[in-house]
Amino acid sequence: MSSTEQGTSSAAPAEPTTAPESAAAPEVPESFYYVHGKDKVVHKVSAGALQHSALIHGMISNLGYTEEQAKANPFPFENIDGDILQMVVDWCNQHKGKPTPPEDTNLPKQKEKLFDLVLAVNYLEIKELLTYCCKQVAMMVKGKSPEEIREIWMIPTDAEDEAAEKEAKKRAGKEAAGETAAAAGDAK
Amino acid sequence: MPIRLLSLSGEDLQYVINSMVLSDLIAFSLCSKRTKALAKSSNHKIDPMSAYVYLNFIIFEIRPSEQERQRSPRLSLLFSIYSGSRITLTRAGENGSEVWRRPEFTQSDWIPHFMSIFNESVIQELNIVEVEESYLDTVKRIIPKFNKLEIGIACFDDAARIAFLKLSPIAVEHVEVQKNIFNNATDTTKFLTLNLKSVTFQDPRYPFKLTVDDLLILNITDLTIDEANITGRELNQFLKLWMKGNHKFYRPKSIRLALEDEEIQLNRQEVLKGIQYEFVEEHDHFQFRIRRGDGKELMVHKEENSIVFNFS
Repeated sequence: MSSTEQGTSSAAPAEPTTAPESAAAPEVPESFYYVHGKDKVVHKVSAGALQHSALIHGMISNLGYTEEQAKANPFPFENIDGDILQMVVDWCNQHKGKPTPPEDTNLPKQKEKLFDLVLAVNYLEIKELLTYCCKQVAMMVKGKSPEEIREIWMIPTDAEDEAAEKEAKKRAGKEAAGETAAAAGDAK
Repeated sequence: MPIRLLSLSGEDLQYVINSMVLSDLIAFSLCSKRTKALAKSSNHKIDPMSAYVYLNFIIFEIRPSEQERQRSPRLSLLFSIYSGSRITLTRAGENGSEVWRRPEFTQSDWIPHFMSIFNESVIQELNIVEVEESYLDTVKRIIPKFNKLEIGIACFDDAARIAFLKLSPIAVEHVEVQKNIFNNATDTTKFLTLNLKSVTFQDPRYPFKLTVDDLLILNITDLTIDEANITGRELNQFLKLWMKGNHKFYRPKSIRLALEDEEIQLNRQEVLKGIQYEFVEEHDHFQFRIRRGDGKELMVHKEENSIVFNFS
């Protein structure tokens, strides 16, 4: 379980309201770190749970923060929605120090949430959770026809792809022309 | 609310695609050129593909490979391909079917699409269950290359004959005809003079009438006929003429003729009459060797109810 509290827009996070579950080994006190998403709600997470994220694990491995320093410097993930980060933190806590099961049935069923979760988990580099999420995304189209898949996954038609490609080329051409003109102006 | 799948990073997208079951992957590949390319780059594997012709439509079978069965149902996917831009998918073992459409596709586009996404260059087996003669050119156009051709017992005689003449030259490895197409044929030589690698003519109900000339004009490398109607005297003549044909190119490497067992026993002396031969084995399975002046050898042996000629 994670501990959370609504943060303010200031850099300093608020004190979490509940204590996290302690790690199994009592003789070595577990260290904790703090993360927040777009909504600034700060989550206190143990280093053990954060090991699932290759990104955060890499960030904290050489920091040697004290509890106070960690509290004062939460990791900001402004590109991740608060509820999505909450899901990620919950998952990391639930699977802390445990082997990951072959299937995870606790993932969100709402398509848009699942999609945002994939993006967040990919960013945070949580391989096992990414595996579950991608499987879940694949399940969205189970037994569907090409037309239905196109609709569910918003797949553009060939004509739309071609139009987008043409537009991108046109834009790139304009930008290149603009840069050439600017360079010529500078030279003068 | 739909999600924009293609905006996922390449790695995530690939993982999603690799997590799909086979039928979903095929449906996904039909959404656009881009999804086709993504499906093609997936790690899904299938067993060699087969196609079955029924009168004027084709059923194309895609079976998951052993490795694929860990994530996909084990049963085959059967796509019925009619004229136009629709196909019908039936999952083997399930009731009902689904209609899929790709408006810009014609009948000829479906099979190349399936082959392309699984990186297959040839269809393993084309089975002509029954066919309308007028549909054979379409079959030839839709399925340009296959390893094995099978012409089934349910085909009408004329359709089976035309199917053999039109399609057997395309078969890379083997042709099997399960009905006697020699019956009532005006000219059987056109079947036997085709330059083919391996052919089995099989129709236990109606034995295939063969003559010495048929064996001499033969242009098929490996031929099996089950059952053949030929006398010991004709076989004897054939052996003598082959021996006389010094320095003449003779394409066949193996001819296997299934005969009634008693017939072989009865005619054995007749088959060898007047021929210089060398016994290699003389027990249940007799085997003898014949040499001709140019050094070519012919091994003849009996195998169950068949007499087999192997040319060196």
